Parts: sequence; C-alpha cells; structure tokens
Amino acid sequence: MNPAFPRALWPASGRQTLGEALWIVVTGLLAPVAVVLLLAGTVLGLALTPVLLGFLVLVGMLRVARGFGGVHRRLAGRLLGLPLPPPGPAGLEPGLWNWLVARLGDRMAWRSVAYLLLRLPLGLIMLFASGALGFFGLASFSYPITWLMRGPYHHGLPVYNIDSQSWAGSLVWCAGGALVLLVWPAFVHVFTWADRLLLRALVVDPQLRERVRFLEETRATALDDAAEQLRRIERDLHDGAQAQLVAMAMKLGLAKEELAAGEIDLDQVRALVDAAHANAKQALVELRDLARGIHPAALDKGLSTALSTLASSAGFAATVSVELSRRPPPSLETIVYFAAAELMTNASKHGAGRCAVLVDDREETLQLTVIDHGAGGAEIVPGGGLAGIAERLRPADGELTVSSPRGGPTVVAAVLPLPG
Amino acid sequence: MRIVIAEDSAILRQGLVELLGLRGHQVVEAVKNADDLRAAVREHRPDVSIVDIRMPPTHTDEGLRAAIELRAERPGCAILVFSQYVETNYAKQLLAGEAGAVGYLLKDRVAEVSDFLTALERVAAGETVLDPEVVRQLFAATGHAGPLAELTPREREILGLMAQGRSNSAIAAETFLSAGSVEKYVTSIFGKLGLPPSDEDNRRVLAVLRYLDS
Repeated sequence: MNPAFPRALWPASGRQTLGEALWIVVTGLLAPVAVVLLLAGTVLGLALTPVLLGFLVLVGMLRVARGFGGVHRRLAGRLLGLPLPPPGPAGLEPGLWNWLVARLGDRMAWRSVAYLLLRLPLGLIMLFASGALGFFGLASFSYPITWLMRGPYHHGLPVYNIDSQSWAGSLVWCAGGALVLLVWPAFVHVFTWADRLLLRALVVDPQLRERVRFLEETRATALDDAAEQLRRIERDLHDGAQAQLVAMAMKLGLAKEELAAGEIDLDQVRALVDAAHANAKQALVELRDLARGIHPAALDKGLSTALSTLASSAGFAATVSVELSRRPPPSLETIVYFAAAELMTNASKHGAGRCAVLVDDREETLQLTVIDHGAGGAEIVPGGGLAGIAERLRPADGELTVSSPRGGPTVVAAVLPLPG
Repeated sequence: MRIVIAEDSAILRQGLVELLGLRGHQVVEAVKNADDLRAAVREHRPDVSIVDIRMPPTHTDEGLRAAIELRAERPGCAILVFSQYVETNYAKQLLAGEAGAVGYLLKDRVAEVSDFLTALERVAAGETVLDPEVVRQLFAATGHAGPLAELTPREREILGLMAQGRSNSAIAAETFLSAGSVEKYVTSIFGKLGLPPSDEDNRRVLAVLRYLDS
C-alpha cells in the first residue's frame, strides 16, 4: 500500500480539488481544537494520576484521540477520496487492570495521537499557505477591475503590494494571478499528498494492513490454482477421453459401412469392433482417473476412508490413522487429502517405502503428519513439491513444517486452523 | 490421394491413418506439430492435408496459423482443418485468404466416415467446405432478427447448404430441386440479404459466413 508519488501533479478533477480544499480548511481548523483537547486531557490526567481518576481521564483522552482519528479517516474518505478501513476495536479483557492496560496501551489510539500532533503544524501551514496563495491569485486576477474602481491616485491594493501605475500594468498582474490560480489546484494536491501519506501510515491499523496483504496474496494463489486445475482438466479430457471416443466413433463408422456393403469382410469388421471396444474401455479408465483427481468419491465418507482407500489403491505401504473429534469442513478435508496424497507419493519415492499418516485435531487445529524412515534430507525448496504443498495450505491459513535430518526419519506436518 | 496428417493425439493420428488406408488413400506422412507439418507439406506436396488446429506447444491455434501460411505460400494448397469445437473466428480467418481448396470440419464429423471422406475429396478438388454444425451455430447466433427472418424455410435451407460450400448442382441433388429452381432461390436469397451476387461457390461461402457472423 505504498502511495505512489502523484503521477500527475494535477488533481484528477475539479471535484477532487474542491474536496481537497475543503479538507485543508476543515482539518486545519480541527487540528488546533484536537490538540488543545488532548493536551488538556493529558495534563489533567497526569496531575490526577495518584488518584484513579487520573487514569480514567487519560483513558478518556485516548478515546477522544481515537475518535478524532476516526473523524479524520471518514473525512479523508469523503473529501480526499481515500477509503481507509476502520481499525479493529481495542482488545478488551475482563478485569479492571486488564481494561486499563488495554485502554492505555491501545496502539491505534496512540497512533491517532501522533497523527493529530503531527497534523497540527502541517495543517496550519497548509491552511495558511493555500489560503494565501489562493487569495493572492484572486486579488491579482481581478486587479484590472479593481484598478478601475480605485481612485486616480491609489491604484495599489492593500494586500501583497499589488500596485501598478497604468492599467496595462494591471493586466500583467492579472496574467500572473491567472497563472497562480491555474497552479493552485496542483499546489493543494501536492499538499494533500503529504496528508495521504500520513493517513495511510498512522490511521490505518498495521495489523489490518498486513492481514489484507496476506489475504490478497493467498487469494491470488487460490485463484491461480483453481484456473490451472481447470485448464488441466480440460486438457486431460481433450487428450484422453475425447480422443478415445472419436477414435471409437471412427472405427464403428467404418464397421457400419463395411456391414452395409455388398460383400462383408467379417475379419475386417471383427478387427474394427475389437479396436472400438478397446477405445471405449480406455476412455472409461481415463474418465475415472480424472474424476478421482478432481474429487475422490471416497472423500465423501470422510478422511479415514478416503486416505485408506488411496493408500491401498495406489499401492502405498502406508499406515493410516485418523482421529478426529468431529468432521472438519469439506474444503479442509479436500486440502488435507491432496496434501496427504502428495506426501505419500514422496514417501514411496524417496522414503523407505513405508510411511505413517496421522490426522488429528487438537486445540482448534487440524493436523496432518506424515512420517517415513527414508534417507532424510528433505527441505522446502522454492519451486519444489513441498513448497507447492505449503503454498496450497496458505489460503486456508495453514502451515507446513519439515523435519528431515540426514539418515531420517522425515516428519512433515501440515497444520490448519479449524473454524469456529 | 496422397495425404499429410497433422494431429498431436497419437490415438487419433493412428485412427486416421488406418481409416484413410482402408479407403485406398496414401498417407505420405503423419506429424505431431505445426513445424513438422510445414516441412512435410513443402517436401511432399500432398493432394490434401488434414490439420488439427490445436497442437503443441501452446495448444491454441498452431495448426490454423500453419495452414494459413501454407496456403498463402502456395495458393491451391488443399488443407482440411479439424477442430474439437466450433470457433467461428477461426473459420473466418481460414477462409479470409484465397478461397477454394480449404475446409473446416469438426472432429466429430470423422465418425461419419463417408461424409468425412467426401469433404476431403471436395477440398482436394478445390472446393470450400464448412462443417454443417458450424453453419448451424452461426444461424443460431444471429437470432431471428433482421433479413434472415424474411427468408422462407426453403431459402434458409439453401442458404445453409451454400454456407457449407456446396455448388448449385450439389444443392439441387440434396434438395431434390431442379438446377434452375436452385439458381432462382440463390438469386432471391442474395437479393434479400443484400449480398453482391457471386457465381463462384467458394466466394459465396465467405460472403455468407461474413454475413451470418456480423
């Protein structure tokens, strides 16, 4: 979420300039109010600290700070067009002491305090600078008119030393004023750029930001995965079952023609029908394999059945032990199933052939452990199989750990949080 | 006829070779990808080539592009292009170049052995062939609005046959009409659709295709 330097120094539209100008005015006026309140609260609170009342006042001050932060955030949303997510609530726990600690240690509140303190000088500078500039622009621009309205001896304006002896000279001022007015929106835009930076840095909960970034990444992974899988299914269908069926149709077509001919070559027909039959059987095999690759039917009966079936049908020498207090949601079952399948394949290739597969749930997590007594030395290498499994666990907030010293045993554990 | 086959699926390639062999044709070479296809056609100069649109490496339209290239190189190079799915866009690209000696068929059509072989022979003879299923989908896609709706059922049928690349005499044979009636219908159709009259069967296909797809 790093803000890029304004790509165009120019604001996007007149509406944006209006919003930004309004922002500068409102927050410029709000800043001193906020700071005064905060200072008063802090002083009072510290003074009364020996008494509990002091702490309460401090807590109140922090909540006011948070409130102001919220006001600024909402203003930023309306006026600057910068929608920011609200921070999560302060994690409160029961008990007076915990409550105090939570309230006084509320990081978001302190960040708001920092923001407001920083904003005060910034806001005042912005307000006066843009105000002065704008006023100068207007005064200069309208000088030709006001020149005519002023008396014959006093042509100068009381502000900014705008003065000219001749009407022609006033036109020069007018041109300058026009230039300033043209540039003014950009000026305001650049100012608010600094403000946007501050807002993004201080008013947004960093934990939230982290979480959002994590979710965006894993969602992209999940979507890519899904698309890739669909592509693979389509290719498998096209190259496998469809090709077999077309070949079968060809052969049967030929057989039909042969049977309709005057002299039937039975040997020919037999050969064709045999071949067509073989095509049909192969197509069935391809379809069955494909279906199993998408969603094994055994999985409907639960992980225990699915994994045992997988081990026996694929010929893995695996001991499967599933101990679950309740059935996890189907999405997690699928993830665990395919992870286990891949790990079992690994074990049978690199391990000693035998492996143990354990699935259990404890402390709100679903855990899959695969142990084999092979040569060891497995690790999560970028682009490798284990990394692929870890990547597929991430969208479900799962983690993969590997312990594989040389000489074995290799223990791979996948941990997924259970909802609810 | 001497034939070159380009098909990446081994099963299908095998099946086609057998099929053509049984019917007395000679498969001079059977290749798996577009580059080999280009080499084979340039070397052997077959009477007709059968080309699968989807081939490695990207499995999108390698075959189609090779076909267009070969036809641009040597006009009259007869190529029958195969596709698993109806892609009207591909049909248009294929027919956009030189008309004649080109065909676009669905792979399913292979199941109708005699239809497939007839189409092959027609392409080799220099005609333009478009799969009836492609034509049907094009009709369906344009909906019932517009001048198409003004055609009588008979005229729509003849339009469909024209789109498949049939000559007037072939249409007459198929619809049991006289050649004269067919000509009258054709003129009437072209008039109603506002298409320039065209004697050449091959050009007709393209015109109709463009019209249906617009």
